[in-house]
Amino acid sequence: MDPNLQLMIYLIPTVVGLVLVLPIGRSLATPFSEKFPSLGSERGRVFFGLILTCLAGMAVSFQTLWISSKISEGGNFCASNSILSCDDVIGNSNYNTDPIFGIPWGGIGAAVFCILLYLVYSSSKEPNANWVTSYLKYGTYITFAGFFVIGLLIYYEIQMEKICQYCSTAHLANIAAFIGFLRLMRMNQGNEWNAV
Amino acid sequence: MKHTYDDEADVRTTVLIRVMALFFVGIMIIAATTSPIATGTKEGERAPALEGQFYNGVGWSDFNLESYWNSSWEEGDISGEWVVIEFMDTDCPYCVASAADMATNSQDFAGNSGWDGAKVNFIASATELDIPGHESSRAEIIAFRDKTADSGESCNGKDCASRPGSAHNFPYIDDLDQENMKKWKVSGTPSYYLIQPDGIIAWSSAEHPNDDIRDAIITLVPRAGVEA
Repeated sequence: MDPNLQLMIYLIPTVVGLVLVLPIGRSLATPFSEKFPSLGSERGRVFFGLILTCLAGMAVSFQTLWISSKISEGGNFCASNSILSCDDVIGNSNYNTDPIFGIPWGGIGAAVFCILLYLVYSSSKEPNANWVTSYLKYGTYITFAGFFVIGLLIYYEIQMEKICQYCSTAHLANIAAFIGFLRLMRMNQGNEWNAV
Repeated sequence: MKHTYDDEADVRTTVLIRVMALFFVGIMIIAATTSPIATGTKEGERAPALEGQFYNGVGWSDFNLESYWNSSWEEGDISGEWVVIEFMDTDCPYCVASAADMATNSQDFAGNSGWDGAKVNFIASATELDIPGHESSRAEIIAFRDKTADSGESCNGKDCASRPGSAHNFPYIDDLDQENMKKWKVSGTPSYYLIQPDGIIAWSSAEHPNDDIRDAIITLVPRAGVEA
């Protein structure tokens, strides 16, 4: 399968998740609220969008980890002469691991999205538990810290003059997750948390 | 006696198990479908990038080590071209002394003499060590490689043209800033690496300090009619 077509498997859920966590997601979710009652409330809609985003983020991170493993074997996945060439970015041994522990960025992304998924999924299952406030804060802090990593990785891409579309999808998932966690945290602190 | 049941903890545990299961499924899929090879300079690792400009006897142009690799190469295939990289300094006495061996080896294993094995390409990465008297330049690299007469360049205190051996016909990479040397974690010069056609390091002088690169080539590079 064409790698850019395969990317849609991750990009579409990420974009849908992003729309759902934004206020404009209400119009998108309304037609489905009869079948999925949780989408009828603002909180339920943001939770759903956030879970979708975290799942997509985790999946695309695993995909980048898989690509980096394949490239290390000598294979290729999405090599291209154009600016969009994830092989050139993920396969560049100068930039494809974190500078402290040498862990592939895809592995870090998968682990982080796994933690975020745990935070949001458990919060959605028991939204009125006393630990939810803390979990939503942790999620906001983690995704905010992700912006610094995104900044570093974009800097790397500028250095290489290449863009990794799979990495960019994971970056978008982090941005969507930050918006979702932030909105949930504010809702949780305000009066609209239990509003139907 | 009153029991207090913590239902919330149960939710978190259930979710944790589900999410962890998902994570490990992902890890297992990657483990089952790939065999990652680390990038590094130890034997069995994938050779890191070697960048810079190289001199090939005519002028300086961009060098790309990856252009030598053939990912479909299989062990024993003699049509694949191997690579020997020498990290050297034109003022290092051992490098000057080994220049004759490099000239001989590069000619003997080039595939056009009596050698019946796979072709071996030779590359030198010339640096400037942080030692007094080791000041170098591109002009000195050219004079060392070509044995240019009356160049005015000094290699280890002598005219570069007087170094042992014939002129080299293989590329010399400008690594005067030591960038490649540091990336490859080369501790001293000369250092040699024998690399397979698929980019995997087959032999490193750092791991065999008492062995010779020529012996490594004869032992490891496949030859016609000889099983590896």
